Amino acid sequence: MKSKIKDLINNMNLAKVRFWTQLVTFVLFVYGGYFAIDLGSELPIFACPYNGESAGACYLIPLQHQLSMPAKVLLGGAGISVIVGLLTFLFWFIFLNKAWCGYACPIGTFQDWLTWLRKSMGIRYSTYTQNQFEKLSKIKYILLAIVLLVPLLMGVGALDSDWSAAFCKICPARIISPMFSGDLSQWAIDFSSITAMVLTSIGMIFAGLFLAGSFVKKRFFCFFCPMSALHYIFSSFAFVQLKKDGSKCTRCGDCYSVCDMQIKDIADDVTSTNILRDDCIMCLKCVAACPEDDALHFDIFNVKAFSSTKEGFEKRMGIEKPKGDRDE
Amino acid sequence: MSNLIKREIESPNERQNRHKAMEAIKVLNDLREGFKVPPQSMEYFYNLFEEVYCHQKALHKGKVKVGTMCIQIPSEIIYALDGVPIRLCNGFYTDDEIGSDFLPQKACPLVKASVGHLASQNITDKPDMIYSPTTCDQKTKAGSTIEGFGYDVVDVNFPRTKESEISREFFRRSIREFSADLSSKMGKKLSKKNLKAAISKIGYAQSLYHRLSEFRKSSAVPILGNDMFLVTNAFFFDKIDNWIGACEKLVSELEQRVKDEVHVAGKVSPRIVYTGSPPIFPNYKIPLIIEESDAIIVADETCSSNRMFNDRVAVDEWFVNDMVDSLADKYLKACTCPVFTKNDDRIRRIIELVRSYSADGVIYQAFAGCTVYELEQRSVLEAMEKAGISILYIESDYSPSQHGQLSTRVEAFVESLKIKNRKRS
Repeated sequence: MKSKIKDLINNMNLAKVRFWTQLVTFVLFVYGGYFAIDLGSELPIFACPYNGESAGACYLIPLQHQLSMPAKVLLGGAGISVIVGLLTFLFWFIFLNKAWCGYACPIGTFQDWLTWLRKSMGIRYSTYTQNQFEKLSKIKYILLAIVLLVPLLMGVGALDSDWSAAFCKICPARIISPMFSGDLSQWAIDFSSITAMVLTSIGMIFAGLFLAGSFVKKRFFCFFCPMSALHYIFSSFAFVQLKKDGSKCTRCGDCYSVCDMQIKDIADDVTSTNILRDDCIMCLKCVAACPEDDALHFDIFNVKAFSSTKEGFEKRMGIEKPKGDRDE
Repeated sequence: MSNLIKREIESPNERQNRHKAMEAIKVLNDLREGFKVPPQSMEYFYNLFEEVYCHQKALHKGKVKVGTMCIQIPSEIIYALDGVPIRLCNGFYTDDEIGSDFLPQKACPLVKASVGHLASQNITDKPDMIYSPTTCDQKTKAGSTIEGFGYDVVDVNFPRTKESEISREFFRRSIREFSADLSSKMGKKLSKKNLKAAISKIGYAQSLYHRLSEFRKSSAVPILGNDMFLVTNAFFFDKIDNWIGACEKLVSELEQRVKDEVHVAGKVSPRIVYTGSPPIFPNYKIPLIIEESDAIIVADETCSSNRMFNDRVAVDEWFVNDMVDSLADKYLKACTCPVFTKNDDRIRRIIELVRSYSADGVIYQAFAGCTVYELEQRSVLEAMEKAGISILYIESDYSPSQHGQLSTRVEAFVESLKIKNRKRS
């Protein structure tokens, strides 16, 4: 019985499972407001409350808000609210680790749908070269620094209130998310001050790049996502992990070639057991594309929940008995 | 007077055929009759080799035959374009001797035999064109020699450092160029449909190999290593659909054998992982000595067998370009050929095979003249010592001599493994 369930899971059609999970989470987080669902404002995904129907809010919003309090207040009692916020964020995060990105983030899901659109038009995806990849993948840390430092600078009075929620102003999710409920009002430049004007203009450019970029490049924005960088800091505490058994790996590169995020370590690193990298969105496509038994596995509390298997690989790659002419 | 004795003078080709038939039938008879209980489904393979190598039967009349000098030419692409891939790696001593006229005396017997075979022009399924990947020095240089015999030889660029991203990109381009070249020669285009079907077909053939290998993990091994070499060797030239059919039968027979615990070797026969220069029919010299010395080959790490089937193609988006790129990746990234600068992957593969097939030792054969395997011997031996795995290194060639000293060494090694096992238990 147990092994049957295991086979069923290991042989699953991951693409389908993911599609439906993403659809459900998308509806939940984007339209949850219609059903009066409110999951709080510490979600580890880009569930953007600029979209009025969102069922919760991205943690970067309260984080920026809290950090922008005057330094005195922040170092006094208000510091507690920062800690409580962070703990709530971690509470959500540890359940799914980076799978929040691959399975629950509406902005991530939206990019996958753009990918689907491109695919159905018969257009091939683009990739970065290794050099570009290494440079670009650092940008998310710069953005994370903006999320953290700009509010702190406001708190000490170095920046004025026009800088409030500075990251949100440049974040493409602020502009894209409201569109899901028909609100196009974020496609605008705020002329109230020079700072606001510059930031919202950058935001418009980023949103444009987001749409064009994710059409040609799988998960284009995730490379730059500061939430992803924040995740990575805490990822080793999560209940679910992506693991690798290097001794079983032949470094064939199958996992690497299907990886939306072009993470090379997944194929080449045969010494780390925890193979989760900062760019990973834990979509588990690598596990699904690995032809070696148990070389890659997704663990819940250190128990293998979904493992790579030869059989599962063959099913997912559509390998079946061919119809050919044989001499008898 | 003169019509009393009718003498016919044997032509060089006839002589070559006769000598090759002698080499072939000797090995086939050894396999048929020298061991206890060969699987019945092996009859297909014994007959196939007899037909092709003793009776010069052509298998692919009317088809375009695409010769490949090494494992790195994706047969998926050839099948998708309606060609038949023929791997030209050769194991005949007769051809080795012919090849000696064209290559240095100390060159690798496999390359010499492949060149000799093509030089003789005496080929049943003669390739219409030959693709030669630039793998080891000798094969790389053999390309131009073969071109001199009047064949259409195309070099396919192959990088020697597989870790780097540059190599990956380089080989992807190289394979794109190869498919464009073949496509124009065949007058047919690669399409999503024909390439996917070919990938799926080869994938299915691979899955049969994997299932056969799985049986060899059990304590009662249902098939000889030599028989397995014959099965995988047939993939070089057989009609793929026939091969698949024959393997399906073999799979179901072996499945039954595992259930009935039929063991083709002795109870205490040590289990061997075979690695090194590829045994190619009929040069089963070392594998035969091993299994005649009461050991059993349970797995191998060679390009004529395991390496050809082990690694699979994964594609994310099934467009022609993606499939071609994925194919290129498979033939480069997963390859454990010693031509590469570093080769930790090969060592890791051998250790993993020893573990998962519960082998007692490794036998590493290098052809005298097969420089890359000779060079890598040291590092592999060191790694095995570190891992506590017994290993024997042997140098051999295609000549029928040396049998005595080789079998003495192998027997001694097998005996030492037996003693070790006895001590352990």
